[in-house]
Amino acid sequence: MSLLSKFQPLAARYDALRESGADPFSVKFDDIISSVEGVLKGKRTLLFGTNNYLGLTFDPHSMERSIDAIRMHGTGTTGSRIANGSYDGHAELERAIADFYGRKHCMVFSTGYQANLAMISTLVGKDDHLVIDADSHASIYDASRLGHAPVVRFRHNNPDDLAKRLARLKDQPGEKLIVVEGIYSMLGDTAPLKEFVDVKKEFGAYLMVDEAHSMGVLGERGRGLAEREGVEDDVDFVVGTFSKSLASVGGYCVSSMEGFEILRIAARPYMFTASLPPAIIASTTAALETLRAEPQRREKLTANSRRFYNGLKSAGFTVGPEANPIVAVIIDKVDVAAAFWKRLVDEGMYLNLALPPATPSHQAFLRSSVSAAHTFEHIDFAIELMTRVGREFGLLPENVHPFPPRVVTAERLSARAATMPVRRPAADVGAGMA
Amino acid sequence: MSEDQTALLNEVSDVLESVLNKKVELKPEMNIVNDLGLDSIAVMNFTMALEDKFDISIPLNDMASVVTVQDLLNTLETLRSAA
Repeated sequence: MSLLSKFQPLAARYDALRESGADPFSVKFDDIISSVEGVLKGKRTLLFGTNNYLGLTFDPHSMERSIDAIRMHGTGTTGSRIANGSYDGHAELERAIADFYGRKHCMVFSTGYQANLAMISTLVGKDDHLVIDADSHASIYDASRLGHAPVVRFRHNNPDDLAKRLARLKDQPGEKLIVVEGIYSMLGDTAPLKEFVDVKKEFGAYLMVDEAHSMGVLGERGRGLAEREGVEDDVDFVVGTFSKSLASVGGYCVSSMEGFEILRIAARPYMFTASLPPAIIASTTAALETLRAEPQRREKLTANSRRFYNGLKSAGFTVGPEANPIVAVIIDKVDVAAAFWKRLVDEGMYLNLALPPATPSHQAFLRSSVSAAHTFEHIDFAIELMTRVGREFGLLPENVHPFPPRVVTAERLSARAATMPVRRPAADVGAGMA
Repeated sequence: MSEDQTALLNEVSDVLESVLNKKVELKPEMNIVNDLGLDSIAVMNFTMALEDKFDISIPLNDMASVVTVQDLLNTLETLRSAA
């Protein structure tokens, strides 16, 4: 026996995966050269597993502001905001996010994970109740363990099931906080938010929506699912992340609740960790400006998502229920999914391999995320590659085609010959935006 | 084991069978994770099914202290009498 012996079953499963030649947990890029292209084992690779929804990681506006911030304010804050103090940039970013959402308050956290950890573990105490969707992200589950409130789960995206569970808690004292997500990160499905709001009102509960994958993606102004569904006034707290649409790292929570600011000296994952460095704060603030100024990025993202989703669906793949930027192909057998994933990566398409228990079922997902920086050519290459490999693996019927036969761009894009060192473009601003 | 607990054990067996889609024979001394081979997701789905069967709320933290089938029966009895 040793300290690590309890991980033997996990290690055995990981070894089996690696022996099959697929190791999704240790992919090492030689370089990342744009929002949607990288170099993997010397080969130019299209990126379909980044969550880089608006394609802003190389945006010159953000990059320049970030570089300026380092020159002006240094590389790090070297401590937490309650101990070392806040910089102007922290407060400015918080005001900008609050303004974006039309809310009174915003708190910024060092990661999106910590935003959930802080808010959920602090808002409900031991005499309250936390009610979460069964398919919640790991950060929500971890928050539920850090906090002291009893935790009840309801069936995924099921308002009736939520109502049933709240009814059982009806006579128990304490407040109830419901937590749902805008777009779920594995299947790309959205929450039935209007119905959840009805249930919330019926039982007098509070509602938090995690818009990590929907901020910048859904809604007229890109505020997320609550905006699209027209229920923002009934959502008490919105949490989100900077590491997806805003192309940096960090998290936030916005609310108009009176007294919200006390959380700054109550939420431990806010208090006892280093604050975001000036470079990140500056690029995030700049990216939010771009998000607001360039709604065409969201339009392009939506068009790309639909093209990719519909292409895979009409090829015969089993996909998630909705055409959103997260597109998951569901594969029953984990070993088939791993081999499929490896083939796609070898042929120049990087995407995520999601395995149980990270998936909500015992199936595996080939999970892609679409970016506004993808061109239709990129999308079509990915559809055709996945279709060809899918047929080879016997997962698709031979006689179904995603597109009418035509000249295929895959050969050029898969770039078997492109093993030359890649010259970094100045920036990929507007890539795919034309 | 009391008559009540035997009846409860049978009901719990039915719930577990519906969650796992296979026949199970529960004994009070069984370890839920090791003997029944339930992973963390299966335990949580089992919990939701038990909540619906008995129309009670079983907070996840209450399940954390449940190791054996007997523990589960005791927890269910407590929660049902409180409901």
